[in-house]
Amino acid sequence: MLLDLSEEHKEHLAFLPQVDSAVVAEFGRIAVEFLRRGSNPKIYEGAARKLNVSSDTVQHGVEGLTYLLTESSKLMISELDFQDSVFVLGFSEELNRLLLQLYLDNRKEIRSILSELAPELPSYHSLEWRLDVQLASRSLRQQIKPAVTIKLHLNQNGDPTTKVLQTDPSTLLHLVQQLEQALEEMRTNHCRRVVRNIK
Amino acid sequence: MELSEYVQKGFQMLGDPGCFDPSAFMLLLRAAFQSLLDAQADEAVLDHPDLKHIDPVVLKHCHAAAATCILEAGKQRADKSTLSTCLEDCKFDRERIELFCTEYQNNKNSLEILLGSIGRSLPHITDVSWRLEYQIKTSQLHKMYRPAYLVTLNVENTDSGSHPGISFSCNMEQLQDLVGKLKDASKSLERATQL
Repeated sequence: MLLDLSEEHKEHLAFLPQVDSAVVAEFGRIAVEFLRRGSNPKIYEGAARKLNVSSDTVQHGVEGLTYLLTESSKLMISELDFQDSVFVLGFSEELNRLLLQLYLDNRKEIRSILSELAPELPSYHSLEWRLDVQLASRSLRQQIKPAVTIKLHLNQNGDPTTKVLQTDPSTLLHLVQQLEQALEEMRTNHCRRVVRNIK
Repeated sequence: MELSEYVQKGFQMLGDPGCFDPSAFMLLLRAAFQSLLDAQADEAVLDHPDLKHIDPVVLKHCHAAAATCILEAGKQRADKSTLSTCLEDCKFDRERIELFCTEYQNNKNSLEILLGSIGRSLPHITDVSWRLEYQIKTSQLHKMYRPAYLVTLNVENTDSGSHPGISFSCNMEQLQDLVGKLKDASKSLERATQL
């Protein structure tokens, strides 16, 4: 599968052959850093001054490179397809190799960053538990009521949340049984077949 | 067991055969237990024909007194001797004390369950449901191919009745971690009950 690059995109990337490969490598590093932590316009200005071009040009160059890397990573295109897609830009062999290396080196990390963008439910982080026995309440004295108090740690969009819940011993056993069945499912023939065949 | 003056007065009337003949006594006693324990108790529980001859104000007073005493006894987990002493102080004769204690004994379990269920507690997990999915692609990421679980804990709140439930996603390792920790909790529970 080839990448479909728009005219505007190609224009932005046209800046890259005009600079050293060291600079392109640096742009690549900046692009990934921006994906990790968000963009920082000051970097564009510093680079623009050093290279004697407008900061817009630098920005477009970096953004073009970012888009190239993220689209390739998203689609998980093969080396060959990447090379063919970049070929249409008419860059030098050296530049093409550099871009390919940038792609292969950073693909895994970019994919993990992209996976955080998907619509998400809170995800499990960890769980703490405590055994309690209720001995009395305002309305009834001399009780022996065992309970399990659970603190569930979840993550939603990077923000940790906690929920404090309680359950009784028989429900606890039921929960364990149900969730063990859930784990067992992955080992059934049906699931194994699906995993094997959908690739 | 301390009873207020109001309750003691009510009981004195209830124990008086001149006020309440034996059948009226039993009816009122049963009515008191019924209105406490029966969720669908009729408001007209005191409307029995055999109680018609008694002044309604007296009926209400004695009914309230009996109900209060029953709740207090339930709360304190009063035993037969405590109850008897209490009723003796209110001038109940032996027979009526026996009847009261028998009726109390019959209803003791339901009473304790009722009292035990009153009160605030943390949201209570009642059930769990799960879903196993195989993620193939998202708008941001194609060719994913990984299994994921979606777990929903059904939760009940004493205040607001139901609760939408807590849902979260997890992968296989995380679910194994979750199950492992819950198993630790249940093993600890087993050990604690064997002490």
